[in-house]
Amino acid sequence: MDAFVQDLIHYSPQILAGLKNTLLLMAIMSVTGIAGGIGLFYLSLAQNRFLRRGTERFISFFIGTPLLVHLFLMYYGLPPLGIRLSAFAVAVIGFTINVSAYNARYLMTAYNGLDKTQIEAARAQGFRFFQIFRLIILPQALRLSVPSLTNQVIQNLKDTSVAFLIQYPDFFAQMQEIASTNFQFFKTYVAAGLVYLALVSVIVAAARRLERKVALPGLETLGRA
Amino acid sequence: MALIDVQDLIKRFDGKEVLKGVTMSLSEGQSKVVMGASGCGKSTLLKCLNLLVSPTSGRIIFKGEDITRPDMDIHRLRQDIGFVFQHFALYTHLTVEENITLGLRKIKKMKTAAAREKAAFELERVGMIEHRNKYPAHLSGGQKQRAAIVRALAMDPAVLFLDEPTSALDPQMSREVVTVINKLYLDNITMLCVTHDPFLAKYISDSIVFMHEGVVVAEDVAERLFYEHEDPRVRQFYLSVIDHR
Repeated sequence: MDAFVQDLIHYSPQILAGLKNTLLLMAIMSVTGIAGGIGLFYLSLAQNRFLRRGTERFISFFIGTPLLVHLFLMYYGLPPLGIRLSAFAVAVIGFTINVSAYNARYLMTAYNGLDKTQIEAARAQGFRFFQIFRLIILPQALRLSVPSLTNQVIQNLKDTSVAFLIQYPDFFAQMQEIASTNFQFFKTYVAAGLVYLALVSVIVAAARRLERKVALPGLETLGRA
Repeated sequence: MALIDVQDLIKRFDGKEVLKGVTMSLSEGQSKVVMGASGCGKSTLLKCLNLLVSPTSGRIIFKGEDITRPDMDIHRLRQDIGFVFQHFALYTHLTVEENITLGLRKIKKMKTAAAREKAAFELERVGMIEHRNKYPAHLSGGQKQRAAIVRALAMDPAVLFLDEPTSALDPQMSREVVTVINKLYLDNITMLCVTHDPFLAKYISDSIVFMHEGVVVAEDVAERLFYEHEDPRVRQFYLSVIDHR
């Protein structure tokens, strides 16, 4: 058996533990990112002008600055100020804010494409703003954003590899350690890439199914002629 | 006593006066149509009456209560006024039945089964029962507008407002909707309708209010207003809309 494959088998508990950490982080930030995105989306529609503007600036700031800066700021920048967070906590907080900002932007874009007379009709019916958001705006914005939101989940999976830079023992961190032990850098990184590709393929297949299932009536993708 | 009593209503948008002191009233069981050229303020008037647009000044008395006072519960007011829009404004992610039951369940707090029963009753009334499980995207314009009328009616409002209910429809679909509104008229539903369509106006109104540049200039029954009114602006408007039919 090839020495490299033997290495992979030998380190498989370590690799699987890393994979588990990667999937855990991805799952958490995908859920918290959607929840945070919905929260920011709600605030960006607020009737209070200052709240609306503040939310927009918050979103722009986190989209406009690198994720790594936020992670380093929290992981290396906060301890001198007396705030010490674990790598996992930093990863969850940092990724959540970043992903929430992107998701809020996707939802806002979908909202801009909605027929606004529905909102006027809901107001005329006597619905309160929160009800309009929950019952009319959000279900449609979410369904229209499914392609962007699922692409973000794929991005989340790939971005978890950044977390190894703050000592989070994710899958890529384990592969990096193996490579620095056996010096098979090329093969190890190709293997890591293939694992990411396989995971992404699973997400893509699930995403396409979801897109077809939740497409808004009248906006379904047409089949071949 | 009038159900709605409008006194000297003024609305300005960025300094431009759209309503310049409108005074009119609507009694219970009465149906009135507001007509006038585009930009005369008739849609603004309708939206001021359920506070979708805030009036600049003037008084609106609804069921004996001044609704322009600052502490007015606008949500409670709107629940008492059915509103039908020109472009239907159905909730696109919901079926026809869900469009109707949403307000009943979430605002009127009805149980789902009771709300569905109410929706079925109202859909039957306008010949839409077989479309109850369809989404708005799968309906014709006439069917959409009939569904929108049912959605408003199902809430048992004190009055039904209709904002150009036929102007987004072709003649055949328009006739379909006129027939439905005419039926409501014959059932003595209190209505206030804004329209350009003299055919609709004739078949659904006890009287027609004619507006010109933000004020009411005439009010009379259709025949007298269209053919015999002394104000040349009224006759001219009627001739111009007839020409376009």
